[in-house]
Amino acid sequence: MLVVTEREQLPVQQARDGKPEAWNILFQRYQLPLYVYVFELVHQEQTSLDVVQETFIAAVRHIGGLRDNTKFGSWLFGIAHQKCIQRWRKQAREEILLEEIPDVPGESENSPDDLLIRQEQEAEFMQRLNQLPLPQRSVLLLHFVEDFSIEEIATITGANPGTVKSRMHYAKRTLKKMLEEKK
Amino acid sequence: MKTPRDILFARHQTIAPKLDTIRHGVVNVEFVREGRRVAVPKYRVAGTATLPLLIWRELILPCRRIWTGLAAVWILIFAVNLLQRDPSEFMARKVSSPTPEMISAFRQQQRLLAELIGQNEMRTAEPRKTFLPRPHTELGDRILTT
Repeated sequence: MLVVTEREQLPVQQARDGKPEAWNILFQRYQLPLYVYVFELVHQEQTSLDVVQETFIAAVRHIGGLRDNTKFGSWLFGIAHQKCIQRWRKQAREEILLEEIPDVPGESENSPDDLLIRQEQEAEFMQRLNQLPLPQRSVLLLHFVEDFSIEEIATITGANPGTVKSRMHYAKRTLKKMLEEKK
Repeated sequence: MKTPRDILFARHQTIAPKLDTIRHGVVNVEFVREGRRVAVPKYRVAGTATLPLLIWRELILPCRRIWTGLAAVWILIFAVNLLQRDPSEFMARKVSSPTPEMISAFRQQQRLLAELIGQNEMRTAEPRKTFLPRPHTELGDRILTT
C-alpha cells in the first residue's frame, strides 16, 4: 500500500538537477494515484493513459516552474487536472465544470479514512462516486487518493478554498447518506 | 472494511504494467531529447540510407500533409492562371508564318493606304484661306468699276 507521508523524502531536487533516475522514482511513486484520479474523472482507459503520459512530459519540461519541492505531488496533480480540463474543453463539455454549490460554514478537515466501506458496498460506493457532479468528484478523489489538504486541492483545481470545502462537504454527505441507507 | 483509497487503488492495479511502460518511455525520450544521453535513430545506424532517401525520410515524410497541401495550392494557382489567360493571345501563337501571296497582298494594301494617306496629306497641306475684311470704301469702288 502506498504511504502518502513519504512526500518529503522524494528526490525532487535530484530531478531538478536532471537525473533520470530521480524522475523514474518520482513517476513510479505517482503513476498509479495520477491514473486513478484521471480515470475516475474521464472514465476512458486510453485517455487516462494519455493524460498521465502528457503530465509526465510536462513535469520534466517545466520543473523549473515548481517553487517548493515539498509541493511536487500537488504540482503534478495540478498539471494532470489542467490536462483533463483541456480535453473537456476540446469536447465542449466545460459547462459541467460551471456547476456551483453554496459555501458551507467552516468545517474541520476530515481524514479520507473516516469513510469506511464494507466489501458488499464497494460497487455501490463506486457507482455513487461516479454519479457526483464533476467538481465534487474531483475534490473527493484528490482527498481520497493523496489526502491533499483543502489548500492543496484548491491549488490543483484552481478553485478557492471555500469552494473546495463546500464541495467536499456535499460530496461526503452524499456518500455517507448512501452508505447509511444501505446498512 | 476498506477505505475509499484502498477500493480505488485495488480497482486499477492491473494498469500498472502499462504505466511502467509509459514511465520508462517518458524518462528515456525526454532525456534523449535534451541530449543527456546519446541516442542515434535507427535509420541512421543502418548507414545504408542514400541522400534522396534521407531527404524523403527527414524532409518530406514527416511533413507529408504540408507538402501535399502546398502541391495542391500550386496546382490550383496554375489552373486558375491557365483559365484566366486571353484566348486571342493563345490563338495568335497558333497562327502559322504568312505565305508569299499574303505578303504581296499585304504590301499592295499598304501601298494603297500610303496613296490614300498621301492624297489626304495634300488636301490637308493646302494653306487655309484666311478671311481678310476689306474696307467698305474699297468694296464700293469695285462695285462702281464693274
